[in-house]
Amino acid sequence: MSFNLFAAEEEALAKARALEKRLEALAPQCLSEYRELVAAFELSTREQQRLVRVSDRLQAQLSDANHELERRRSEAEAALESLREAQEAMVQSEKLASLGALVAGVAHEINTPVGIAVSCASHLADATQALRRRAEEGELGKAEFARYLTTAIDTTDLILGNCERASQLIAGFKQVAVDRASAERRSVNLAAYIQDTLVSLQPKLRPSGHAVAVSCPGDLELDSYPGVLSQILSNLVMNALTHAFADGRPGDMAIMVDLPTPDTVRLRFTDNGRGMSEEHRARVFEPFFTTRRGRGGSGLGLHIVHNLVVGVLKGAITVDSMPDQGTSFTLLFPCRTPGQD
Amino acid sequence: MDSLTIPATGRTPGVSFDFAGGHLRMTGESYPDDVAGFFGPVFDALRGYLARPDGGAIRFDMELLYFNSSSAKALMNIFQMLETVAKAGRPVTLTWCVEENDESMRELGEDFAEDLRHVVFRMREIPAGGSP
Repeated sequence: MSFNLFAAEEEALAKARALEKRLEALAPQCLSEYRELVAAFELSTREQQRLVRVSDRLQAQLSDANHELERRRSEAEAALESLREAQEAMVQSEKLASLGALVAGVAHEINTPVGIAVSCASHLADATQALRRRAEEGELGKAEFARYLTTAIDTTDLILGNCERASQLIAGFKQVAVDRASAERRSVNLAAYIQDTLVSLQPKLRPSGHAVAVSCPGDLELDSYPGVLSQILSNLVMNALTHAFADGRPGDMAIMVDLPTPDTVRLRFTDNGRGMSEEHRARVFEPFFTTRRGRGGSGLGLHIVHNLVVGVLKGAITVDSMPDQGTSFTLLFPCRTPGQD
Repeated sequence: MDSLTIPATGRTPGVSFDFAGGHLRMTGESYPDDVAGFFGPVFDALRGYLARPDGGAIRFDMELLYFNSSSAKALMNIFQMLETVAKAGRPVTLTWCVEENDESMRELGEDFAEDLRHVVFRMREIPAGGSP
């Protein structure tokens, strides 16, 4: 059995042909006009069939085009997704690299007091050994013993002082490093935390002689993510050292904190370095934007700062700068970081 | 009126009817918003030309790459007008241009040729992605 879309038309034509025979006999004068009518109907039927095919072809083309569109759209989406993943991976590795720099800073900073303590202890041991020998030989004089006592007091003071210094440094670093690595939320005294972070940056700051002045209310307690704050500050400092004070340019930095409202912290980080053009200023937070490509710039430092301020601290960051007029970053964020939801 | 020239737009075809030379062409793509508004003047001009008694040979080049159903019906009407004058003895050649590999357009051409008995029908292959 076969299906025919145009069965009714064919049936009508068959009837018309049968009618034609009867008409031939009954009314031959009408025959030629009648044949024209039938021919017009035949033509119309063929045109109808043709139009159905044209229409089906157009539908098929439309459907192909839609599939192609859908395929390209999903390709583009997949490409975008993998780009985002790559970007996220680079941001993560940059964070790890700065954690590594922090650890190196810690090691360098602690080295000095520990080194002093070790050499003092060794000096004390030598002096004690000498004293024992003299005592065993029964030749220890009063004046000699008094000299030893002076040495012992001086060296133990130095050992104690330097070990305390090392212990303080470790406590500060430990907190900063733990916060950095864990990104835990806790309550923190901002002024003290800024100091802890700056200490870890001393190995970078000291050789170039750039100071960081801090002005922050001593009693300002935040309920926030101190590790994030520490990362932000160290990225800002490193950015200033790399760009504002490039090529040994002298100058200083300042961190100024105040409370424009009781619930909002305003932290300004300024430098009096070489500043930047408006073109660079406008792009400074873009990922991978760097003026130092190929010279160690990843273009991620300030992008990470921006992400952390906006994404984690739920705040905002702006930057003002002019060539040779220094640069000023202004961060506004809530004292109590709102919850994730 | 010795010619009718309508430049192609995104939705309407290019029409260049050189009546003096007997050479008629339609190019581009045809899916006009206003079928009557576009084809009305084309039909009028063509009807006027075909009604002239001079009776010279006619070449019609169908170079459309894409057309919708209304335009297909309009083409069939044009072809029937040409068939009528060809039947009366005027030499008419219709060239149906298809891009190479466009099999379905070729089949449509063969389909459209079915009702042409007096018009000489030719199929011509043009390079794909060529001039619109």
